[in-house]
Order: sequence, then structure tokens, then C-alpha cells
Amino acid sequence: MAHEVGGMPLRIGVAASGGQGLDAMVADRFGRAEKFVIVDIDEERGKILKVETHDNPGYSAGSGAGVKAAQKLGDLGVKIYVGPTPGPNAYAALQYLGIKIYTLTGVTVREAVEAVIRNLPEILQS
Amino acid sequence: MRDPRDPLGEQVEIVVASGKGGVGKSTIAAVLAVELYRSGYRLVAADADAEAPNLHLALGVDKWDSVEPYYEGRVAFIRRDICTNCGICAEVCPFGAVEVRNGNYVINEWICEGCLTCSFACPVKAIRYRFKVKAGEIKVAGTRYGFTLVSGESMPGRPNSGKLVTEVKNRAKSLLGRSGVLLVDAAAGIGCQVISSLTGAHIAVLVAEPTPASFSDLKRIHKLTKHFMLAPMLVINKFDLNERFTKVIEEYAEENNIPVVAHIPYDENVPKALNMGRPLHEAFPGSSAAKGVLEVVSYIKKEVLPNWRRWWSTYKPKKPEIYVPIIK
Repeated sequence: MAHEVGGMPLRIGVAASGGQGLDAMVADRFGRAEKFVIVDIDEERGKILKVETHDNPGYSAGSGAGVKAAQKLGDLGVKIYVGPTPGPNAYAALQYLGIKIYTLTGVTVREAVEAVIRNLPEILQS
Repeated sequence: MRDPRDPLGEQVEIVVASGKGGVGKSTIAAVLAVELYRSGYRLVAADADAEAPNLHLALGVDKWDSVEPYYEGRVAFIRRDICTNCGICAEVCPFGAVEVRNGNYVINEWICEGCLTCSFACPVKAIRYRFKVKAGEIKVAGTRYGFTLVSGESMPGRPNSGKLVTEVKNRAKSLLGRSGVLLVDAAAGIGCQVISSLTGAHIAVLVAEPTPASFSDLKRIHKLTKHFMLAPMLVINKFDLNERFTKVIEEYAEENNIPVVAHIPYDENVPKALNMGRPLHEAFPGSSAAKGVLEVVSYIKKEVLPNWRRWWSTYKPKKPEIYVPIIK
């Protein structure tokens, strides 16, 4: 295998519900989304390298659901979040963690990741 | 081709919100639910005001088809077999929840907030937590008008975050199925329950009355709709109580591209209808307020739902306008 130039894969976190992995639907809320689908992509080639599903601690949280969800994405090393716009407190938490926020709903996780790949330069500069 | 039996083909979520309480949300939501359902749309109504649910009153619901407990939070208790009765927990508890009964220290579960202070302070680690704490109920009823109402009710003193509203909405959505209108009657204010009501919704029916308090709160709820990319419309209720201030609100709407879809006059039949447990337009069909509320219905039926995405694109912000909380 040729030596890869470009370093670490880029990690995308998608708020999701129902379905499995890339076939899950993007959730309709952030803080209490059912789960997060974490997708590592090869930034240069725009290819999906790995897909994992993680629990969202905000899902069953009483208070502070959005901030807990943001914290989880931070802990997982997510660089770009895709899904419904997080509420004001959660949004601030994601910004504090340096995670880019890309609002997109009504599509599958796969379509959401493809949209991120298509718009990567603008998202990374936002 | 659109199926006439399923005109929407997808779920559309309409939230009735206001900021200020007591301006007419539930009154309007009840009439909207009945009339949109009668127009042929599949519809489920959700009462997202768990602390003071009123929608079931306006719809004349007197018994529930199902009542399920809702659990949130935690309550501490002291392990008798470990506790040495040192009393440190009673000293540190910020809520005064630790009592002495028959010479033993006991935690009063009605006062305990689950803050964890006592368990950190206890020198022998005698304190544990119970998590199955009933914090409210989720109730479902088939209304006499043919559609289903899902209502959340929180118990006094128990936490009310957005979680109960989330469960109410999720239940309503699963009852609604693939397509139809989800009509949500939000709580007053802009707190967690309201955030939970707005997220995922498409259309906001904002209700205001011509007072400085209502206008101030309207601006805040409007900012939230812009955060979540809802398209708003405005109803000015009790407009004739202060026509000068009604103009102030109209100017705000004009400047912000919010269509004003009805002016409803003050009408004493409104509280009477609520007391009768009937939607306003059923109890007092000829009343001036009923006519005003039916203008809201008419606008949604004619201008919004036939092609809701087009209406939504016209009135929603181009991209989310983030509501920055005061953290610093």
C-alpha cells in the first residue's frame, strides 16, 4: 500500500435516527438525537474510510442534553457536525469545541456525508 | 401526482408559540386542529406545555385512552445498614431535604433535587440514588373531533426539561405516521420546553397581544424561530385593546417579513368557550373572535398547506440566524 500523504482522516459526526449506519436518517433534533453516526473520510480523495455508530448521552438526559451531546462529539474527535441546527446552548458548546456546524436535514446519513464532501472547503473555512 | 387521500405526502410540523403566556395559543391551536383535520389532512395534536397543559380543555377531552408515567431525575436515599447518623448530610443539603425520623437521618424524597451534594459529603458513602423517579405523565386521547391528542403533564416539583416535550412529540409523530400535520401547542417563554417544541418544526404561528410585554417576548420567540429556520406568521390577538400598539407590532412584522394573518378582537366568549370545554368556533360560531381565528385557519388552508415548502422558502431565513445565549 502506497504511503498516504495528508495525515489523519477527517471525522464527521451526523445526528441520526432509525436505520443503520449510512442508511440511517438525519435526526430532527440535536440534543436528544437517538444516536451519532461517525464517519471518517479521506479528505483529499473525498472517500469514506470508516463508519461507526455511537450512543448520544443527551438522548436520555434530563437537563443539559444539547451540551452533553456536543461534549460527546468533542470526545470522539469530530471536526464537522452535520444535522439539524443545535439549540443556542449546544451551538455555543460546539463552537467552543472548535467543531464546524453544517445544517442539513431530510436526507440519509450517506447523503449528508456526501453533501459535506462536496462543500468541504466552505465548511472548513466557516 | 398528489394522492387526494394523502395531500401532504410527508409530515409537516406547525408550532403555535408566543413568548408571553395567556395571549391565546391554546385557543387558536384548538380551532386549527379541528378545522385542519376537517379539511381532510391527517393530523395529530401535541400539547407541549407540560407544566400547564390546556389544549385538552379547549378540545373537551374528559378521559384519556392511555396514561403512561414519565421518568426523569434522581432522588437520594440513605442506606440504613451503612449510615452512622453523623448528620453531615443534613448540614450540607442545600434544600433541607434531610430529616430525622425515629432517631435516624432520612431523605425526604419530595424535597430532594438529586444534586449529589450529600453523597459527596457522606464520610461512609451511605448515600445512593433512585432513578425511576416519576416526573410526569404522557397522556393520549382520541378527541371527539376524530383526531388524536398527545399531552404531557409534569408533576409539581419535578424537573421539566425539554425531555418530556421530546417524548410527547415523538409519540405524536409515530401516531401520525408517514404523513400529515403535527400541530404543537408550545409552552410560554423561550426555555428548554420551548426549544424542544421548535426544533424539527417547519411553520410557526406566533401569537401576540398589543402590550409591551407581549411585544418584547414576541421578539425573543421570533429570534428563536430564525435560529431553527422556521417560517413564521403572526396573529395579533385582542388587537382592539390598544390599536396604537397594534401598529407598533405590525411595523415590526413588516420590517421582518412576517405575514400578519389575522387581527382578533377582544371577546369575552373566549374564556367562556374554554370553560365550556369546547373550541371557540364551536361554542360561539358567530362571535367576532371566532371569525378572527377562522382567518388563521383560512390562511393556512389556502396559502400554506397546498404548497407548504414554497411558503416556507418565502418566509424562512436564508440560513440559521444563531441566537447567541448570554454566557460570558
